[in-house]
Amino acid sequence: MKKFTYIMLSIVLFGAKSLYAQTPKGDVLIQNATVLTVTQGTLEETDVLVEDGIIKKIGKDLSASGSIETIDATGKFLMPGIIDAHSHLALDVVNEASAPITAQVSMADVVNPFDVGIYRALAGGTTVAHGLHGSANAIGGQSITMKFRYGTYNPEDIFMKEAPRTIKFALGENPTRVHGRGKNIQPRTRMGVEAIIRNGFAEAQQYKKAWESYNSVKDKKNSTATPPTYDLRLQTLADILDGKIIIHCHSYRADEIYMLINVCRDFGVDKLVFTHVNEGFKVAPELAKYTMGASVFSDWWAYKFEVYYSTAYNAAILMENDVITSINSDSDELIRHLYHEAAKTQRYGGLTDEQALSLITINPAKQLGIDEFVGSIEEGKQGDLVIFDHHPLSVYAVPQMTFIDGVKYFDINEDEDDQRIKVSPTEMVEPVYLKAEDERCMHGVELFMQEAAAFNHTH
Amino acid sequence: MIKRQNTLMYLVLSFCLLFSNHSFSQSDNSGQRRITGTYAVTNATVFTQPGKSISSATIILKDGLIKAVGNDLNIPIDAQVIKGDSLFVYAGFIDVASEAGVSKPEDVKRSDDMDPSDPRNEVAGITPEREVLQYWDVNNGEITNWRKAGFSIAQVVPKGEMLPGQTALVVYGDKESSNILAESTGLYAQFETARGVYPGTTLGLMAKWRELYKNAQLKYEHASLFKEKGNGINRPEKDPSLEAFYKVINGQVPVVFEAEDELEIRRVLRLKKELGFDVVITGVKEGSKLAEDIKDAGAKIVLSLDLPDNKASKAKMEDATEEAKKAHERVIAAYKEALSEAASFEAAGIPFAFSSKGAKSGDVFKNIQSMIENGLSEEGALAALTTNPANMLGISSFTGTVEKGKLANLVLTTDSLFSKDAKIKYVMADGYLFEYEASKSKKKNGDVEDILGVWNYTSETPGGTSKGTVTFSQKSGNLKGEIVVDDPDGGGKVTRQLENIHYDGKELSYTFSIIVQGQEIVVNTKGTLSGNEFEGNLSIRDMGTFPFTATKEPDFKL
Repeated sequence: MKKFTYIMLSIVLFGAKSLYAQTPKGDVLIQNATVLTVTQGTLEETDVLVEDGIIKKIGKDLSASGSIETIDATGKFLMPGIIDAHSHLALDVVNEASAPITAQVSMADVVNPFDVGIYRALAGGTTVAHGLHGSANAIGGQSITMKFRYGTYNPEDIFMKEAPRTIKFALGENPTRVHGRGKNIQPRTRMGVEAIIRNGFAEAQQYKKAWESYNSVKDKKNSTATPPTYDLRLQTLADILDGKIIIHCHSYRADEIYMLINVCRDFGVDKLVFTHVNEGFKVAPELAKYTMGASVFSDWWAYKFEVYYSTAYNAAILMENDVITSINSDSDELIRHLYHEAAKTQRYGGLTDEQALSLITINPAKQLGIDEFVGSIEEGKQGDLVIFDHHPLSVYAVPQMTFIDGVKYFDINEDEDDQRIKVSPTEMVEPVYLKAEDERCMHGVELFMQEAAAFNHTH
Repeated sequence: MIKRQNTLMYLVLSFCLLFSNHSFSQSDNSGQRRITGTYAVTNATVFTQPGKSISSATIILKDGLIKAVGNDLNIPIDAQVIKGDSLFVYAGFIDVASEAGVSKPEDVKRSDDMDPSDPRNEVAGITPEREVLQYWDVNNGEITNWRKAGFSIAQVVPKGEMLPGQTALVVYGDKESSNILAESTGLYAQFETARGVYPGTTLGLMAKWRELYKNAQLKYEHASLFKEKGNGINRPEKDPSLEAFYKVINGQVPVVFEAEDELEIRRVLRLKKELGFDVVITGVKEGSKLAEDIKDAGAKIVLSLDLPDNKASKAKMEDATEEAKKAHERVIAAYKEALSEAASFEAAGIPFAFSSKGAKSGDVFKNIQSMIENGLSEEGALAALTTNPANMLGISSFTGTVEKGKLANLVLTTDSLFSKDAKIKYVMADGYLFEYEASKSKKKNGDVEDILGVWNYTSETPGGTSKGTVTFSQKSGNLKGEIVVDDPDGGGKVTRQLENIHYDGKELSYTFSIIVQGQEIVVNTKGTLSGNEFEGNLSIRDMGTFPFTATKEPDFKL
């Protein structure tokens, strides 16, 4: 009998523990807000009820059962959590710049949940970010879609488990500089970048075939088949060919954008998003027809030769041409005010509020393949919400509270001077890097680049 | 022909000499051989294992083994008696990851046409087939120091990058003995990568690990199939690197993985979960928060004997802003937390051992005392030095406690082990007795005059060993210095001025900068001075910390 009790007890404990292992889900009722749903219009004086992390109900005069926290948002604006489709925040390593194709590497291995930048992003209303490999390689590493559940010690708590796999590609000056000029190997030119990608895909086809033929005979009687070499790089490329991974490609020039569209069409790959895309406006119809869209800067330009031909109207032109368009940060600083970046499209291109907001919510969600879960305020979606004091596209807007899965991760009234989770026992002050931009896209490639010092801007 | 005959003659001659030496060996004209292999420690307080002691006990040791422990024992007639009246006796300490006496294999030459994206394994720091014993020397001075700190058994780990080779178990015994207990006890792994080739970062390292392991499994399958059937099966290509994984795949030995912080430990656990190997995680400096994950994974934990510098308490904060003071308090709290990691692991019920890698032998007791002051029990500390590592290494049948039949590995101290005044008086390792001066002649800290002059330094960086000089001078009361280093941009040397020179009579630190390909790199140097020896580290942001030692040139001034 006693033994039985122990067994029951251990089952209960085990069960409790596996519950604990899940990321926290919250309940909250936000009342009387101007709800910017993004996909279903603007709802005045409306309540949003989140239960167990999911938006349960949107409507007037909702009531919540006893213990649920109620927030009066009268006069305030509620929008979906902001989604950044291109970030390098909270990653310990950005570039594995040692090879032109590093599809085998995974940003999930280097997520750093202690990065205080996560909290700063939350304070800017950003709840989801796509952590990408840098742009040193033609084919970089597999990215990680993160929900910024700040406060955890476990990197895996930050992973958005529902998100499909994604991978970084890069065209143009960065991969040719790092590998061609830096190490004198292919790719040295834009043609070389295309060749690298085509060869990679072709090799992956052969690889896939080798394994398929091995697997088809290995269990047969008297099989003499021996296993081929396992190659994680080619396996990942084969997964791209099988449509299991969405490509996010760093690109600037129209010709190279169209080049990759053609390469992908030749190999039957249609899960393709372009990122940066400064000359995207020149190939907008093609982007609309063949890709999952373009994730652009609002107005960054001229920091290197391939980005001189740029326009701040890019996002608006793409949008009007039915390209799924998003605005990204690629910066630990910009990620704190993507709503400003989106608002610039109203100054340059006159987008409507809803169009402008879609650039930082539902559209990046579509590009990451997570639009069924996040990106708008709809019943059944995850409770990722931001309360603003003014309309988020106003220059006066300041985020007040940020929720992920119904759990509050930022509250301007509870904002402490020091929000670090973890402090070094020996570092007296947190190191500050003045050239923040240098830390990101091309981070870690200095060793490979003779002329690295000559370039200041590295996106 | 003549030459060959000569060689033959020499051979015969040397054989004769060898033989004659042997046949007359009863007469030891060197005076080196010990008189007896039998010892008796009498009337001592003996801690037979953590938490258990016998007072006024005698230990009889003979030919490398403990023959008897207890009260009222007969002392053999040939025994050398060690009067233990005021001595405390413990089992010899066991170090689960040591680099003492291990040299770094020479860097492999890189061919000019090497493709950095696909280098040969040796170039990428992948040499799991190497045996550490090929690079280990029992007569190395570092071993003398660690033995003096009470260690008599160590698992030695190879030097290198991500997979430098196999570990081995050795005893710090007589210099004439081979001192090997076991070879290939584990596959050593680190988060280190070779420069300029794939894998170059933790990102690539993780991917490469998965790939190597899976290919080792496939190779093993293939080789087994070939062995079983043969007919019609392709010959498996020989691959020493992959074959080095077989013992891990078969569960015979663990991966000994160095992981310092929480994120690194999680990365190791991630690999373990995906690939399924047994793992001993060494050099751990934090991670008690991961106790549940560590238990679930069945990973074994080996804490580093190196503790962080207490920089925070030295900072002058009187004039600081409130915000800075608060931040400073957090650093102090973090420092405290670092010191209490051992206690937290103990409280979480995770038995841990210690690793000497990266630590200084002179700091061991000071550091363990800090751990005890911050909550670790004395019993737990002794277990971490003796029984826990013995269990972890699977050698508890013959060592780890002071019991009949165990190897004669002992530490004899002048006071109970973790008390402030305790000094090690004797260490017995493999039945050989080493005696130390236990007097309290503590040299007082020196002054600035001590460092003035020219120092010759040696440093080990991924770029290889470099040598040069550091010169300190004093001008109107100001300490100045300069360092001569190899020019990183090509042949020749460059001289750089030292900045931020601090010397408190014991610790010396300074910084200097060098230009590498147009980029300024700041090098921090820090270490301790004892007499004419300086032992410390160079650290460079984003690159790591590397050993740096210097010796002062004799001063001929009178």
